[in-house]
Amino acid sequence: MRRPVLWMVALALALPLLGGPGWAQEIKLGSLNDLTGPTSDVGKDIALGIREAVQYVNDTGGINGKRIRLYLYDYGYRVPEAITTYKRFRDFDRVVGVLGWGTGDTEALSPTVGKDRIPYLSHSFSAKLTDPKTAPYNFVYGTDYSSNARAAMTAWFEEVWMKDPRFREARSKAEKPRVVMFYAFPVPYSSAPIKALKDHAALLGFEVGPDQDVSLVALDTKSQVLGAKAFKPHLAWHGNTTMSVAATIKDSHALGLGADHIVNNWGYDENLVRLAGPAGEGVMGAAVTAFYGDRVPLMDKVIEYGKRMNPGLPQEARMIRTVQSWVQVLMMAEGMRRADRAGKFTGPGLKEALETLKDWTPGLGKPPLTLTATDHRPGWVIPIYRIKGGKFELVKQVDLKAKWPKQWDGEWFGY
Amino acid sequence: MYLPSGVYHETYAATHAWWQSTFVRAKMVLLVLFVLTLPLYTNLYVISVANIILYTILSALGVQLLIGYCGQITLGHAAFIAVGAYVTAMGVLFWKLPYPVAAVLGCLLAGLWSVFFGLPSARIKGFYMIMTTMAAQFITVDFIITHYVSRVGGREHYFSLPPGTITIGGWPVDSEIKVYYLASVLTIVCLAAMANLLRTRVGRAWIAIRDNDIAADTMGVNVVYYKLLAFFAAGVLAGVAGAVWIPSLLFVSPEHFQLSWSLWLVGVVLIGGIGSLHGVVFGSLFVTVILEMLKLAVFPLSEFYPALTERFLYVKEAAFGLAIVLFLLYEPRGLGYRWQQVKNYFNLWPFAY
Repeated sequence: MRRPVLWMVALALALPLLGGPGWAQEIKLGSLNDLTGPTSDVGKDIALGIREAVQYVNDTGGINGKRIRLYLYDYGYRVPEAITTYKRFRDFDRVVGVLGWGTGDTEALSPTVGKDRIPYLSHSFSAKLTDPKTAPYNFVYGTDYSSNARAAMTAWFEEVWMKDPRFREARSKAEKPRVVMFYAFPVPYSSAPIKALKDHAALLGFEVGPDQDVSLVALDTKSQVLGAKAFKPHLAWHGNTTMSVAATIKDSHALGLGADHIVNNWGYDENLVRLAGPAGEGVMGAAVTAFYGDRVPLMDKVIEYGKRMNPGLPQEARMIRTVQSWVQVLMMAEGMRRADRAGKFTGPGLKEALETLKDWTPGLGKPPLTLTATDHRPGWVIPIYRIKGGKFELVKQVDLKAKWPKQWDGEWFGY
Repeated sequence: MYLPSGVYHETYAATHAWWQSTFVRAKMVLLVLFVLTLPLYTNLYVISVANIILYTILSALGVQLLIGYCGQITLGHAAFIAVGAYVTAMGVLFWKLPYPVAAVLGCLLAGLWSVFFGLPSARIKGFYMIMTTMAAQFITVDFIITHYVSRVGGREHYFSLPPGTITIGGWPVDSEIKVYYLASVLTIVCLAAMANLLRTRVGRAWIAIRDNDIAADTMGVNVVYYKLLAFFAAGVLAGVAGAVWIPSLLFVSPEHFQLSWSLWLVGVVLIGGIGSLHGVVFGSLFVTVILEMLKLAVFPLSEFYPALTERFLYVKEAAFGLAIVLFLLYEPRGLGYRWQQVKNYFNLWPFAY
């Protein structure tokens, strides 16, 4: 009885040794993802998308004929787990680049990847990661959280506060618009744009109410909403991911908070429409690519691979997150191709290759992206959407650089 | 105690010596040599795994002291590691103290903090004491550190130390290998200190309290004093672990010290064997290496079954739970006891006993 079990365990452990080396033309790519932790509400779709996109790259010729081998690991949004896995990627798997996830782990690893010279393209768009002086090997593919928050606030101010008849009386009395912020205080992702947001509120003449701490896994946010209600806000900013943002918006609706909502990009997707229901009407937010199924170039491939590789998952359940993964993988692949053509397929070579991207876009509704050796910010034109009749409708393209050129190249860089 | 034929003791000191024969001495010298030369013939990956093992040993030592030697079950040890780590990090970052000074301060504060949460042990024991230690976990990490300490300095809720800030007497601890040496020296010192402490009056008092606190009291052991002393010693050991954690990551966040890490450490002690210092080492080795083996199996297999990596955290947690259950069923005295059995077998060979 005991023997066969032992043999099976031994076999299971020995299998990887048998299947070890083989493919000569292979490029190793690590990916840290959250499939089980507090941000898994958006992280699951991301991981599926990464696998599909890598398959697409390999099917269409790979990196100049070399195949990408993906090491995707679920770290459950735990920073220490991410760090030890990164070390494994670096020393054991010897990856060329890493696709990262959370703000906490990406910022924690930032000095290390700089020292190890491994390009790190993250889903975290914390503004700190866009300054090559402090984070030379960090890259992001979407506009940073601080810019997203500034753009959303600007769009609401210009399109709603200044135009909507609801606020005519308040405007005529020269009242200041009031804003509150709902986010998880201890989570670096949620709190990353707070300083920028408060600066921007001062710039536009907002009055800022007491911050409300909403956990990433919150299901009930009534006490926070009541805490905010005493301040009578006109606007609420949400800095978490979809699940808790939807919970907060629903509770605000039920308790009659009476504020409009703007949401950071990781809380703004197809699931928000489904979860918030009627409470979600009119909610505004930033998106860094087109939504799933929008009519934009390459979307047909995204849908084809989604259907083929994950047939069990209904198409209605797929989200903008898949599209974001495609942009991330295609950007890394483009960098790799350029590095390979230049004959410098190393960490620094890949970094230089990524810095040659100029007005680059893979399609998928991604605004053209330009990176330089001194500026890793992917863009300054940020589309802000609004939910109308359960669909996303473009409100405005906010051009931060055109509006505030001095701040954009000065104090706004890198925070 | 097993002694080979021909070894005699003539003094009390000799009968109490740690290493009683040349063979044992040679073995220990080889072990120390192996630990010190490990970086010469392995890659950085093995070193980073070794660092996790050493950190786990240092963390679990205090748990072993409390559970295995003083009978106080603790489910909040990560809180004291957190105090050590945060005080060390803040000392270096904000108060500009040298790393060793900050680390000593961290150990002392962790010890005192542990005594504070050990105070209820004067009145309660058993399940109620477990609740108190869990309270220590939530009050310290989830409340004080998350909401107040991590906002110090306006660093947006996390502490990241610039590389090169951690130096010991001008020697910068900035690579995996240097952290390995720091951690292994501290682990050896702590293990030796613990082993010796257990042979003194203090250690015997702890064991008396563990076996029966009323009997210990009747024999003249000041139960409250020794319990608090155990909490202090465990807290200091946790502080050492916290101080080692800082240079290995150059970063600290409340996520490192959640309840799951406290439970993990209790698991390490259960797997290694309660009331055994060998057990701490074997338990730490076991849980860390098994996890790496699982990763080794999961990554290549994920080429064929992508769902494997996507569910790996569940597998990992389940495997840990399964290991504890299997150990409680088939090896209730832990790996430390098995090690003794193996040694006995070879010592007595070719006889059975």
